[in-house]
Amino acid sequence: MTSAANNSRSPNVAALASKLYEECRNKFSADHLFYQKDLLSLGVVPNDNLPLLVQCAQSLVDKKLLRLLSGKDGRLAWKIISQEDAEKFQNLTADESLVYNVIHSTGRSGIWQREITTRTNLTATILSRCLKSLEGKNYIKKIRNVKQTGKIIYMLAELTPSEDVTGGAWFTDGVLDSNFIKILAYFIEFFVSRKSWYEVSTTIDAHKHRNKRQKISGSAAKLDPEKQYLPYPAGYQGYPTVPLVAAEVNKSGITPVNMVEESIGQLLEMLCYDNKLVALENGQFYKAVKKPNEVKKPKELCGVEDLGLKQGDDANDTKEDTAEDENIMAGRGGMTEAPCGQCPVFKLCTPGGAVSPETCKYFDSWLEKTLGF
Amino acid sequence: MSQYATELCTLLVEDNFGELFARIFSTLQRYDRLALPRLKFYSRLSDKKLHHGLAAMIQMHLVFHHTSFDDGVTYYEANMQAAYYLVRSGKILEIIEDNLGVYASRVMSTIMYLGHAQVSYLETLPELVSEQVSTDGINGTLGSHNVNGQSQSMILNGSHAASGSHAKLHQTLTSLAAHGYIVRVREAHFQSSVDTMMSAERIVKAKQDAKQLKGKNLERFLQDGITDLIQERTEGDLSHGLIRNGVPRGIKRRRVNRLGEESNKRPRLDSSVRLPFEKLDSDEDELTDNELVDEDPPMESDLVVRINHEKLDVVLRNRRLAELSEHSTSSITAQVYECLLRRIEYQTQRCREEPEIPREGEEGEIYSTPISLHTLVEDIDPGLDLAGSIGPMLPPEIPGRGGKRPPDNGVNGSGPQSRASEVDQHLVLLAQPPYAFSYRQINSGMITWTVEYRHLARKLRHLELERIIQSRYGNVALRIVRVLLAKGKLDEKRLQEITLLPPKDLRQVLAKMQGGGFVDLQELPREAQRLPSRTIYLWFYDPDRVRRNVLQDTYKTMSRCVQRIKFERSRLKDFLDKTERSDIKGNEERCLSEAELVLLRQWRDKEALLLGEVARLDDLVAVLRDF
Ligand code: SF4
Repeated sequence: MTSAANNSRSPNVAALASKLYEECRNKFSADHLFYQKDLLSLGVVPNDNLPLLVQCAQSLVDKKLLRLLSGKDGRLAWKIISQEDAEKFQNLTADESLVYNVIHSTGRSGIWQREITTRTNLTATILSRCLKSLEGKNYIKKIRNVKQTGKIIYMLAELTPSEDVTGGAWFTDGVLDSNFIKILAYFIEFFVSRKSWYEVSTTIDAHKHRNKRQKISGSAAKLDPEKQYLPYPAGYQGYPTVPLVAAEVNKSGITPVNMVEESIGQLLEMLCYDNKLVALENGQFYKAVKKPNEVKKPKELCGVEDLGLKQGDDANDTKEDTAEDENIMAGRGGMTEAPCGQCPVFKLCTPGGAVSPETCKYFDSWLEKTLGF
Repeated sequence: MSQYATELCTLLVEDNFGELFARIFSTLQRYDRLALPRLKFYSRLSDKKLHHGLAAMIQMHLVFHHTSFDDGVTYYEANMQAAYYLVRSGKILEIIEDNLGVYASRVMSTIMYLGHAQVSYLETLPELVSEQVSTDGINGTLGSHNVNGQSQSMILNGSHAASGSHAKLHQTLTSLAAHGYIVRVREAHFQSSVDTMMSAERIVKAKQDAKQLKGKNLERFLQDGITDLIQERTEGDLSHGLIRNGVPRGIKRRRVNRLGEESNKRPRLDSSVRLPFEKLDSDEDELTDNELVDEDPPMESDLVVRINHEKLDVVLRNRRLAELSEHSTSSITAQVYECLLRRIEYQTQRCREEPEIPREGEEGEIYSTPISLHTLVEDIDPGLDLAGSIGPMLPPEIPGRGGKRPPDNGVNGSGPQSRASEVDQHLVLLAQPPYAFSYRQINSGMITWTVEYRHLARKLRHLELERIIQSRYGNVALRIVRVLLAKGKLDEKRLQEITLLPPKDLRQVLAKMQGGGFVDLQELPREAQRLPSRTIYLWFYDPDRVRRNVLQDTYKTMSRCVQRIKFERSRLKDFLDKTERSDIKGNEERCLSEAELVLLRQWRDKEALLLGEVARLDDLVAVLRDF
């Protein structure tokens, strides 16, 4: 009797089920875990008719619109699946959807092939057939793990792999993207530099002092005559912090993805090793070594102007990006400028020998170059 | 010293004093120490030449001599240090000129040229009596070629007869002595430090007290005794009693004009070494320019003085630090720093006590004499815009522009209190990382400032080495080396994570640097078989070793430059001989053709460039060896 009644109402089940699905989608987030009482509370199934609810749910599961899970304490629970995903599932074989579910469950960390085998108990041949087919349908993708190169990991095609897998923001397809790093490093150095020095227009007074000092160093003359950069007092709190730099980078749109603070921190540390930044108060603040007009553009960036970076002046454009220009101390040391300092046959050179200061061919060209005759 | 240092020193001796000296010098270098007959045999010089040369070289401090206690034979030995310092003379004279004026520099140059000089002898030199100051007294010595034998008597250019009054000479000598730039020559200065040490040891061991001691006590007794005796025998300090309130004679308290003009010299003519301790009255004792003029007796005329290179290295080190500080702060802050450094200089005898630079990590902190903030405030040029040379304490509203100076930045008033806090602010700025140029100490309630030189010297060395590495192997190499310096030994994997470099680039640069001896690889086998797959490879950077290697390379490079000058000169020998002819010298414009003039100018440029290069290489040596 009951079963007959149920049967007679079976078209009803389909209607109720689709209504239930609609409600679930509208009232809850896609990730919500539904228990029986959640579904009942939607008021779609009349009179809290539990068997009817179960029936509806089952029909949705059959249509791959709901996924049956075991929630807390082994109670039954469901999650909704989007329409598109459901369509995917509908043309999957049972094995394939099993594999898909396993991969799905690992989220952004992905899963190793051998791990799938143990979880699904499928034979290697079947598994690899499933994986191939899923990959062919573009449902899943292969990712290379940077930590263990050669280890291949599967995850859903639409997910961004987690940093553990990719090695963080610095890797593109498991390869370190050094150009990206250079550009970002320059952007950060310039940003930090602008925040590390107090910019004033030069007054006559300052000029006077500077001229006086030139006797000793002779280096100040290179500075832009218009602007002068003064240091901030000790204990100044306006130097950039990691969050501030991260926010600035993300705001600029210079990176395709959002940069997390951890990655930015890594880059800031690297810049300290480059002698470009200095960490203050245990890395709470960062200060640039160079003044904004001294920060050098990497050559990767020459000609790229759409980054919203306005240079204070164009002093950088004319200079080549050679290593010497990067030196932090004014003037170059004796060893780096004398011909012998770069001489390829330095070790062999002896007076009266085959290579000797008398027969040396490097000196003449160096003298000519330096003196201009 | 190494092969290249030896080569360089001989070249320097030859360049400054000619063949004869060079022959003797190199012979002594080759055989370490020689008695006269052996020296004569090896050098193949005639008695007359040898005696003449040796005597002059002893006077120049280029040769040590020591008469052995055991066999009574006198041995001769080359003084490498003195020979090396020949290269620094131009730089030193420049400093003296900056600090004490042209005349002082000329006096210094004369003493330098003579090796050592008796005050009474200096009095007889017309060029030091001459009132007008001509600049050719301060030629760098390296460039000028002197025939040996002339070293004893300067070419006299002034025609002024000695006027009987040597006031100016004495004032200047006093001032040089007060600064510690010249010292009294002691008997022990003529023998090598090893000899001084051995004879001190012999004397102390022979003492009655030593016989009763044993073990540790004896060791300590000997140690202390020897140190004291050496100190006693080599001490030539003349500054004692010539420093008042921490400022040497010849310096105005307030140095409005930094390059001391003649008017700055407050004559205090006093040479006695052990004056009773002067009372260190505070500001009641404010010195005025004229107050002490006649109080000081002249320098003793039989006093023999020489250049004190130890002290001058302190001055050079301070210069270097001031330059670096300017770069990382501002010129105004650097001037504040210079004031602190100058005060410290007056009380610092030498850069460090150990003869060799200690290994990295084995060096303690040594703080300089503390200088009170109060003193510094008085020293600093009151015209210096202290408040306007530091940014505001609060971040500007719009980045890079505007921003009102908050009151805590020192009101632009002229109260002594605010001035002091302004000076302090600059000093605190200097104390910031990465350099920590200064340290603040509270001494019995007073703010004082000191400098910890050891870490700064290390920093300077690292900077120089890093500069070389960067220019040779690129920016990537700099990063790698600095990571290794900070973190110690690392495997490639970890190194790669920190440097964020593609493994291929990293490996390439590491291999190149390893080839150049800048980094090295350590193998740690995990088991006895030493299988490569079971071995950990760690990269490391040893700054001590790199420093030693680079120092040798620097000596070699200096040699090459000097040799090249020699070669270039020989290429133009006939022409240069012509320009040296007495009828042409000084009248070049008239006597030489257009083409010859061009050639002469080119030669001079060339020589200047090469000499400049040598001087800059010497700066490097100073950082790597002397600071
Ligand atoms: S060959 Fe020339 S450049 Fe090379 S070490 Fe010798 S002198 Fe110097």
